[in-house]
Amino acid sequence: MFWRSKRLWREPGSLKSSYDAVIIGGGLHGLATAYFLARHHGMTDIAVIEKNYIGFGGAGRNTAIVRANQRTQENLPLYKEALELWPVLTRELDFNLMFYNCGNLNLAHSDAAIKAMRLQVASAQYSGIDIKLVDPRECKELIPALDISDRPRYPVFGGMFHPPGGIVRHDAVVWGLARGASKCGVDIHQNTEVTGIAVSGGRVVGVDTGRGRIHTSRVLNSAGGYSAAISSGMLGIRLPISVLTIQAMVTQPLKPFLDHVVSSGMYHCYANQTLKGEVATGAHMDPWPNYTTQCTGHYIKHQAEALSELLPCLRGVKFMRHWAGLADMTPDMAPIMDGNDHIRGYYMNCGWGYFGFKSSTVAGKYMARFISTGECPDILKPFALNRFEQHRLMGETAALVSYSADN
Amino acid sequence: MDRLKDLPTLRIRTEDKVSFKYQGRALEALGGDTVATALFANGVRIFGRSLKYHRPRGLYSLDGECSNTMMRIDSVPNVRAETTSVKDGMNVEAQNGLRRQGFDPLGFMDALSWAMPAGFYYKVFHKPARIWPVAARQIRKAAGLGVISPDFEMAGRYDEIYPHADVCVLGGGPAGLNAALSAAESGLSVILLESRPWLGGFFDYRSKLHARAAELALEVANNPGIRVFTNAPVVGTYSDGLVTAFQRGSKADCFDERYIEVRATSTVVATGCIERPLLFENNEKPGVMQVGCAHRLARSWGILPGKKAVFSVGHDLGLEAAIDLADLGLEVRCVADVREDGQDPRLVGELQKRSIPFYRGWVATQAKGWNRLRSVTLGSVGGAHERRFDCDTLIASAGFTPVWGPIALGQTKMRFDLHTGFFLPERMPQNMYAAGRLLGLCDPASIEASGRLAGLEAAAGRGLDVAARMSAAREELEALPGTVRGSKLAMAPVKGKKAFICFDEDTTVKNIDQALSMGFDMPELIKRFTSAGTGPGQGGIPGHNLPLYVASSMRYQGEVRPTSMRAPLVPVLVATYAGANHDMAKRTGLHESQQAAGGVMERVGVWIRARRFSQEKSARAEVENVRNNVGILDGSTLGKFRIHGPDALKALQRVYVSDMARVVEGRMRYSAMCNEDGCVIDDGVITKLGENDFFFTTSTARAGVTAEWIRYHTRYDDWDYSIVNLTDAYGVINLAGPNSRKVLEKITDADVSNESFPFSCVRDFHIRSIPVRAMRLGFVGELSYEFHVPASFAQSLWEVLEEAGKELGMKNFGLEAQNTMRLEKGHVILGSESEQRTTLHDIGLGGLWSRDKARWKTVGAVALTHTEHQRGRLKLVGFKMEAPASKPPLDGSPIADGRVKGYVCTARYSTALSQPVGMALVEDELAGEGCRLPIFEDDCGGRLLYAKVVPMPFYDPEGKRMKS
Repeated sequence: MFWRSKRLWREPGSLKSSYDAVIIGGGLHGLATAYFLARHHGMTDIAVIEKNYIGFGGAGRNTAIVRANQRTQENLPLYKEALELWPVLTRELDFNLMFYNCGNLNLAHSDAAIKAMRLQVASAQYSGIDIKLVDPRECKELIPALDISDRPRYPVFGGMFHPPGGIVRHDAVVWGLARGASKCGVDIHQNTEVTGIAVSGGRVVGVDTGRGRIHTSRVLNSAGGYSAAISSGMLGIRLPISVLTIQAMVTQPLKPFLDHVVSSGMYHCYANQTLKGEVATGAHMDPWPNYTTQCTGHYIKHQAEALSELLPCLRGVKFMRHWAGLADMTPDMAPIMDGNDHIRGYYMNCGWGYFGFKSSTVAGKYMARFISTGECPDILKPFALNRFEQHRLMGETAALVSYSADN
Repeated sequence: MDRLKDLPTLRIRTEDKVSFKYQGRALEALGGDTVATALFANGVRIFGRSLKYHRPRGLYSLDGECSNTMMRIDSVPNVRAETTSVKDGMNVEAQNGLRRQGFDPLGFMDALSWAMPAGFYYKVFHKPARIWPVAARQIRKAAGLGVISPDFEMAGRYDEIYPHADVCVLGGGPAGLNAALSAAESGLSVILLESRPWLGGFFDYRSKLHARAAELALEVANNPGIRVFTNAPVVGTYSDGLVTAFQRGSKADCFDERYIEVRATSTVVATGCIERPLLFENNEKPGVMQVGCAHRLARSWGILPGKKAVFSVGHDLGLEAAIDLADLGLEVRCVADVREDGQDPRLVGELQKRSIPFYRGWVATQAKGWNRLRSVTLGSVGGAHERRFDCDTLIASAGFTPVWGPIALGQTKMRFDLHTGFFLPERMPQNMYAAGRLLGLCDPASIEASGRLAGLEAAAGRGLDVAARMSAAREELEALPGTVRGSKLAMAPVKGKKAFICFDEDTTVKNIDQALSMGFDMPELIKRFTSAGTGPGQGGIPGHNLPLYVASSMRYQGEVRPTSMRAPLVPVLVATYAGANHDMAKRTGLHESQQAAGGVMERVGVWIRARRFSQEKSARAEVENVRNNVGILDGSTLGKFRIHGPDALKALQRVYVSDMARVVEGRMRYSAMCNEDGCVIDDGVITKLGENDFFFTTSTARAGVTAEWIRYHTRYDDWDYSIVNLTDAYGVINLAGPNSRKVLEKITDADVSNESFPFSCVRDFHIRSIPVRAMRLGFVGELSYEFHVPASFAQSLWEVLEEAGKELGMKNFGLEAQNTMRLEKGHVILGSESEQRTTLHDIGLGGLWSRDKARWKTVGAVALTHTEHQRGRLKLVGFKMEAPASKPPLDGSPIADGRVKGYVCTARYSTALSQPVGMALVEDELAGEGCRLPIFEDDCGGRLLYAKVVPMPFYDPEGKRMKS
């Protein structure tokens, strides 16, 4: 019966001295890769090495929004497939991931923003994704709490509505994937820190941990905010990643009044009501690199000011909890998925910035294929690291972004 | 209900009657009442229903640590009735389905709790898949506590203040008051924040200590160095001594709530303790309350908590309360103390004197009754003996929980202290000092002494020489009783099926056991899995018990770790955080006249600018007026800089792609800046003002960052130059159109003929008596003058020009018209015709790059070399529609040819050419002249528009008009 309490995943006990593959990071990308390797590629002799507990990092700190309305055609199919995977995985894992398919509304507050949205909308439509531009009146119909008058600081010019998007219970994904991977034989080692990656003759030969050396020929770096430090510190491969703190917060729980995810780039603000009734809201990133995951007083105030303009009824609601996580930002806001480039057997899946949650399952799926075959799947090829050496940025962001100290 | 009278500790004003409404009924309260005490005095015992099982819940604490007493007050949901003062005319409503006190149609949920073990959501509702959307909707409806209407408008006045002080003391109890006094007496400025309406903390309501509290409060009030904020809960502490709080105002204040941000060198945390709940079956029934709640109810508000009470406590304050409440008229049936020994013998003697049965090593195991308490079973801690007592009130408390949030927020590691049973900081954060009860002290004199010491420590941290006073204070403290051994018992000897560890989320001890057996072994993970502590009480109830219980469980091997603390420590209204909500936009010096002229004002970056001067979206009339006559535009937002000094030229060489040595006096030069990737980030004009002295403009968007950009890229060179951002200091007015010279000639004595002031030149002269720097530039493609004037003259110049242009029919034009005209001219606006990844070559401006200045290490030059002939890049092209009569394609539409190969940057109908023209970024294979561009507009239903690539500029390709 469903109320019998069994361990969700095995406690593997001692660390084995060798594995076919070692995955650094017990976050969503690491667990998803382990799951797909074990379940779909027959590679079951895998260790997931997690310094803290699984889901400690970005996996437990995001606001759980999923969508497929990116800007470029390299990204769109990936996110489209990611959206389609939630129900599939719910079934496969026999674990309710609580994909709440409520749709996302992004708001535009200027003609320039409408133009940027049109490119996104039309490109997504061209890739077969359900999305459309809507006018302020339609925005109001979708989000009755929205103020579409001229009163707010940034009046609403329109928006894009993306029905297939929504929210997923992020912790459920961590636990579901851990259970699924563990069932297939994957060992999840929590409280275990990777201290080095051993390379010999241009090939990975092992991973050193606080609990000893693991011999392996394949290692995946999917350590989220810490991937660049691992890559650079242990292998000397410098990644163009800046790590920034990103903050989010929730209000007290309320009866349903906000039926879709609503976001606004101008206010640096998104808001959605979770299944528990809390309004989860955030978007701001501290503009300086740091690893602290500390919240700032300035930001929660900023968020209140933004919400006062965007969804004025929330002025009568109280903030309850404010937290922060790390975003590993690349210059073009697209990830780095690569392997066997400088060192054979070294794979990386990082630089996801604040898109790491929505992409986790699909990235795991294709990274598993990459690792098991050694051949990069076509869908991942545009995300190779060498695009930065060649000055070929991805174009996922139109605007100029820079997260290093030189603004 | 009759209130107790003549107690010196009372905080109510019996002569001051307040009337308010509860569930539609008119009730009466007294001045000084909170909503919770007013309701309790009126006989209300069930304050709400629990979230999941709809169990009746009552008054439990008086500090609002749980959702039990959250109400909807004046349409605002989830208001803590315990910390809200009752006001005349207030409308109070209960939440979560409570229609009548005694009946809840969803009460049967409690009987179904067996079907909802920890994490059951994850295991059900997904098979078959089609039931999930239905279930999700039902879960949404059942979840959530308060109701907010989408069109709700929050009333009230909100404000914000940012006071500074040497020391910020958190907590106005005996320790905090002493800390404030000793810091202030050392000559420091002090801010004291207290969440209750009065000072005194746990001295205030105790008969023997009340007078001392009043004495301290008076001393603090009379000290000019201390600024006191009462009714002001602390909500956050951050690095560098930043403390955030908010204050509830009264009618007499100029605010209803205000946000307070204190910046202090040192912080003293003296926030005291709350009580740690006792876990037993039905431990949250109405009628079960904490010691402080019962005691304060009687002493501060004159209300006895019930008629017949049983006490089950774990500390001496519980014994003291039992004695005091018995003296005030409560029938105390017995007192159980979980401690076998260690009680204050004096208190035990007082109990005996009153013939109150006292059970050492006993604890409440079960409360019985549904809507109200009927009996309590007590048992020995070992579980061997049991006795039942009829009563209507159970006063229960397992121990204390220090309010350590302000310390823990700075990511301070908290360590479990075996003696006190508290989580205490491994090391205090820098410049933060702790005092009082939260350290585990209980003796009043020790608490005061620790406060004095903390105040002196803060003074020492501020660099004052207080060493002698500090060692005296330390000696004094050491001579007094130290920290008290705390009770660590979390759980009575019962199964815990209905022992609630978290009231808000209806999490039972059994749920915690389930989570443990599923492999969740850390309190933080159990919190996530069972939701315990994630409700509106923000961990006040389970925060201490959860880790204690997990640690006591056999399954957990590690050290005891608390769950994380997060700001805000108490819930804060969005309206309060928003405070005054200042709008930080910039206006140009011509803002009013632009607006008066009918400008449609819009935000453009940090500025507010006129988009058009009519409701017609394409601003065609404005375009035609500039093309055929003369128009005037406010261009003040343009970035304007002066750079001077011996190495000014070197700095310009570093950041600009062109050879800056060729910039000469009297002429403007157009150039661009790239980033390290060769991507173009800015364009503008540069001129030389004199020896080692240059003036240049940047785009509006880059005005704020350019100085820093130049400094950053020359930071290792030790060059001697100065850069001044003149953006706000100068106004810019653009006079454009074939008749602009006619306007100008009327108002200046300077020779502005084409011969002496030709295109791309710059001249300083006077218009009337206003000194202007005039530049002949051709952004819109006509004869045009750009006047730079000190911002204070901008409006005068505007009026002079307006007057002079009147007879020619000069009109305003806005950004939209400018956009169309510059497009016709093929001029780019960065960000519009470029992306983040667009290089100088990609937009066809590669010619600006001077490749023979490698020695200047120009930013982006290496990448410009790499990418010069690179294939597969998006290039900027001009296009016209294949069908000239068609409408211009919508901006942003992709060029789709099997896959997306680019997009339309800007396209407009050109009146001058009588057809649409546009610019697009397209893959190089489509960039050749004559290439066909299939344009895919959104919702086009597969019907593409076709354009073909044509050379630019579209309008006046030889530039005769702008040079005329």
